[in-house]
Amino acid sequence: MSFVLTALTFLPFIGALIAYASGWLTKSQTSAQSTTTALSGQENLQSGGARSIETIAGSGENERRPTAYYVALVFTLVTFLISLYSFWYVFSNTPAPGQYALTESYTWVSTHAFGLNYLVGIDGLSSPLLLLSTLLSFLAVFGSRNMVSRHQTAYYSLLLFLEGSMIGVFVSLNLIAFYIFWELALIPVFFLIGIWGGDRKKYAALKFIIYTFGGSIIMLLGFLSLYLGVTPQSFDIPDLAGKIPVGLQYLPLLATFIGFGVKMPLFPFHDWQPDAYQQSPAPVGVMLAGVLPKFAGYGFIRITVELFPQAAHQYAWAFIIIGIVSMFYGAFVAILSKDLKRMFAYTSINHMGFVVFGTFATVLTGNLLGVEGAILQMFASGFAVASLFMLSGYIEAQSGTTQISLLKGIRQWMPITATLLVVASCAAMGLPPFVSFLAEVFVILGGIAASYYAAITILVPVITGAYFLWMIKRTVLTAGDETKTVRDMPKVDAGVFAIYIIPLIVATIFSFLILSPSVPVAQWITHLVQGVH
Amino acid sequence: MEYLLFAILILSASSIGIPLLHFSKERERAPAYLLMVALALAIAMVVGNTISPQPVSYFGNLLSSDSLGGVFAIVTLFVTLFVTAASLTLMSTSNSPSYYALLSFAALGMLLLSYSADFLMLFVAWELMSLPTYVLAGFRKNSAQSNEASVKYAILGALSSAIILYAISLTYGVTGTTQILEAMKSLAAQPFNPIASVAILLFIVGFGFKMSIVPFHMWAPDAYEGAPTPISTLLAAATKKAGFVAAIRVLLVASTLYAITQNPLFTIANVFAILSLLTMTLGNLAALTQKSITRLLAYSSIAQAGYILIGFVIYSYAQGNPAYDQQATLGMTGALFHVINHAIMKGAAFLAAGLVILKLGSGDIRAFSGLAKRMPKTAFTLAISLLALAGVPPLSGFWSKLLLFMSVLNSPYSWLAVAGVVNSAVSMGYYGWVIKRMYMDDPDSYATIKEPTSMIIIFAVLIALIVLIGIFPGYLISFLQNAVPAIAGH
Repeated sequence: MSFVLTALTFLPFIGALIAYASGWLTKSQTSAQSTTTALSGQENLQSGGARSIETIAGSGENERRPTAYYVALVFTLVTFLISLYSFWYVFSNTPAPGQYALTESYTWVSTHAFGLNYLVGIDGLSSPLLLLSTLLSFLAVFGSRNMVSRHQTAYYSLLLFLEGSMIGVFVSLNLIAFYIFWELALIPVFFLIGIWGGDRKKYAALKFIIYTFGGSIIMLLGFLSLYLGVTPQSFDIPDLAGKIPVGLQYLPLLATFIGFGVKMPLFPFHDWQPDAYQQSPAPVGVMLAGVLPKFAGYGFIRITVELFPQAAHQYAWAFIIIGIVSMFYGAFVAILSKDLKRMFAYTSINHMGFVVFGTFATVLTGNLLGVEGAILQMFASGFAVASLFMLSGYIEAQSGTTQISLLKGIRQWMPITATLLVVASCAAMGLPPFVSFLAEVFVILGGIAASYYAAITILVPVITGAYFLWMIKRTVLTAGDETKTVRDMPKVDAGVFAIYIIPLIVATIFSFLILSPSVPVAQWITHLVQGVH
Repeated sequence: MEYLLFAILILSASSIGIPLLHFSKERERAPAYLLMVALALAIAMVVGNTISPQPVSYFGNLLSSDSLGGVFAIVTLFVTLFVTAASLTLMSTSNSPSYYALLSFAALGMLLLSYSADFLMLFVAWELMSLPTYVLAGFRKNSAQSNEASVKYAILGALSSAIILYAISLTYGVTGTTQILEAMKSLAAQPFNPIASVAILLFIVGFGFKMSIVPFHMWAPDAYEGAPTPISTLLAAATKKAGFVAAIRVLLVASTLYAITQNPLFTIANVFAILSLLTMTLGNLAALTQKSITRLLAYSSIAQAGYILIGFVIYSYAQGNPAYDQQATLGMTGALFHVINHAIMKGAAFLAAGLVILKLGSGDIRAFSGLAKRMPKTAFTLAISLLALAGVPPLSGFWSKLLLFMSVLNSPYSWLAVAGVVNSAVSMGYYGWVIKRMYMDDPDSYATIKEPTSMIIIFAVLIALIVLIGIFPGYLISFLQNAVPAIAGH
C-alpha cells in the first residue's frame, strides 16, 4: 500500500496550518508594518476596483513578502511534483478498466449498522485533473504575489486549504469522503471571494455558498440513499459500480445531476457563476474557473455514469441536450458580455457543456471518443480558462478595469499582456496547436456517432472563435488613448505565464499521455452501460 | 463502586453547600470554582458509571443506570460546567452564591432526569431541573426583558409540568404502575384505548415544550433573548436535551400505539414526522428574518430539534415494522449524536454571542459587522460553530445529520430527508449571512477588544471537540449505537 495519495491530499492542509502559524510567529516583528498595511488595506477596500494600481506600483522588489507566501509556494510546488509522479505512474502502469492505481484504504467508521472506509485511488480520469489542480494552485500562488496585499497570511493558507480539498475530491473513491472534500472546497472559496474580491464581493460570496451548498447537499441525499440498497452495504465507488439495482438509480441520478449541474454549472443552474467568477480576485479565479467546474465533470463520469449506468443510458439524451444547450448558451451570452471576466465565465460554461455532451454521447452509443474528448476537454479548458482569468487579473491590476469597451489599445500600453491575451484566446477557442482543438473534435465526433443532428455543435467552436476575435478586435487591435500611461505586466510573470500554455501544446503533440490512460475509463463506462443489455 | 450514587451526592452537597458561601469573604468567585469542581467530579463519576455500569436499577427501581442515561448525563453536566466557567466572565452579580447554587440544582435535576426509570422520579427531576431555570432566566432583576422572559418561561413551563403530571396520572390509571418501561410497554400491548392515546398526546405536548418543538416553541425565542446569555446557553444546550431524554424514555417504547384513533394515519411515527417537518421548517424560516443574534440562535435551535425528531420518527416506525431495524438504529444513533453535537455547537455559539453582547452591549446582528477584525477568536468560534450547525463537513454536525437523513431514506418517510436537506440549505442562508457580517463587512471602529483568557480556553475546547468529533466520528457513533437498545430496556 503506497502512501502517495494521502500525502498528496494532506500536504496542502499541513501547509495551510504552517502558513497560518508563520503569520503568528512573524507577527511580533512586523506588527508596526502590518498596521500600516492594514490601514492601506482598508483604504483599498473602500476604493474598490482601483485597489491594485498602487499595490503593483508600490511593490518593489525590496518589499518583504510574508513567510506564508513562500510556504505556499513550496507546498504547491511539492504537491505538483508528487502529482506529476502519480500522473506518470498511472501512465506507465495504467490500471485495467474498473481498477485504480496507488490505492489506499483505511477503516474510518466501523459499527454494525454503519461502516465507512477512507479509500483513495486514481486512474486515467483523475490523474490529468490532479496535475491540473496542483499546477494551477502553484500558478495561483505565484500570481497572487503582486495582486493581493491584505491579510496575506490568511489568504495563502486559504489557498492551500482549497488546493487540499481539490486534490481530495479527485482522489477519493468513497462517496462520503468525496462529499466531504467537495464541501470543504466551499469554505475557502467563500472567504476568498468575500474578503479579497471586487466591488460586489459579499453578494457574490453569499450567492455562491447558498447555491453550491444547496446543490451539493441534494447530491449527498442521492449518495445516502445508496447505502442501504446494495449488498454488501458500502459507500466505496469500486464496490458500488455495477451493483446498484436499476430501480434505485433514478433518484440518485437526478440528485447528482442537480449537485454537479450547480457546480459545473450547467445551463439552468448557472446563475451564481458569472458573479462569483467576476468578483473573485484573479488568482482565485484561476482556481475557481480552472478546477472547480472539473469537480462536476469528474463527478459526472465517476459517479453519475459509473454508478448509475442504466439510468444514465436511459436519460443520456436529456443530458446531451442540456450539454448542447449549455454550450450554445455559454457562447451566445459570452458574445453579449461587456466585461472580460464575465465573458470568460460564460466561456467556461460553454466548455463544460462539451464535457457533458461527450460523456453522455459515449453512454448512449458506446463510442469511446466522447468520453476521451471530455477528459481532454477538462484538461484543456482548465488551463485555457485559468490563463484567461490570470490575464484579466493583470489587466485589471494595471488599468483598473476589465470592461471591454474601456480597454481599447492595450496593445500600445501593455504589449506583453496583449500578446498573451491573443495566445490564450486562441487556446480557449480551440485553435489547432492547442489541445482544446483535439478535445472538441473528439467530443463532436463522439456526438455525431450518437446522432447526425449533433453535428450542429460544430457551430459552437465557430461562435466561440467569433466572440474571442471580436473581443481581440475591440481591445488589442483598436487604437486607444496614446496619452494613457499604464505599466505592462512584470517580465517575470510573463515568463511564468508560459506554464499555462505549455501543457496545452504538449498535450496536443503527446496526446497519448492523456488519451491512453483514459481508454480504460471509457471502456469501463461502456462495459457498465452494456452490462445489462 | 457506587459511581452514580456519588455523582448524585456530590451535586446535592454542592447545591446545599454553595449558598453557605454567602457568609464567606470569597463570595464572588468561590461558588463558581466550587461548582466547577463538583461538576467535574460528577462528570468523572458518570463516565465511570458508563464504563463499568452498575446494576441496572437503583433506589428501588427509581433510576436505571444504562448508557442512554450516561450519554445525556454527560452532555448536560458538561454543558453546565461550561456555562459555570463562562458565567465567571459573562455574569457579574452581587448574588453569586444563589446563582451558582441554582445552577447546581438544575444540574442535579438533569442528572436524575437522565437516569430516571420511574414516573415519580421523572417528575421530581423534571421540576428540580425546571424551577431553578425559571429563577435564573430572570436573574438580571433590573432588566424588564429578563423579567418578562422569566415570567413567560415560568408560566409555560408550569403548564407543561401540569400536562406531564396529568399524562402520568392517566398512564398510572390505565396500567397501575409508575415504572416507565413497564407502564409504557403494557400501554403499547393493550388494544386501542382512548385514555392511553390521550396520555401519549399529553406526553408529547408536555415534553414538546421543553424540547421547544413547533407548535410548543413560542416561549423559547423570548426566553433565550431575555435571559442572561449563560442561562440561554443552559436552556438551549442542556435543559432542552433533558426534554429529549424524557421523551425518548417515555414515548418511544409505546410507539406502536395509535395517537388518536385507530386510523393508520394517526400513528405516533406520523405525529412525530409532522412535528419534525413543522419544527425544522418554521425554525429555519423564522431564523432567516431575525435581527438579534440570540433570537437567531433560538430559532436555529428550534430547527435543530426538528432534525433530532427524524430519529424518533424512524425509531417509532420500526417498532411495528421490524424490517426497518437497521434504519431505526441508524436514526436513533443519529438523534443521540445530534443531541451531543447540538449541545456543543449551540453552546459554543451562545457563549461566543454572549461575550460579544457583553463587550459591545448589543445583540443586534448589525453590531457583528467586522467582528473578525475586533474580536478574531470569538468571531472564529462563532463561525466554526455556525458552519457546524449548518452541517458543513468535516465538522461534527455533518455526521449526525448524515445518519439522520440516511436513516429515513428508503422508508415511507424519505420526504423528511428531502425536507431536512432543503432546510439545511435554507439555514446556510442565515448562518452564512452572520459569517459574512463578521468577516466581510466593515466595523464601526477598528479598536480591538480584549477577549478574556478564560473564555478563549472555553472556546478552544469546544472548537477542538467540534473538529475532532468531525474528523474521527467512529468511536462516538459506535458508543451511541450501543446505547440505543437501552431505550427498549435491553
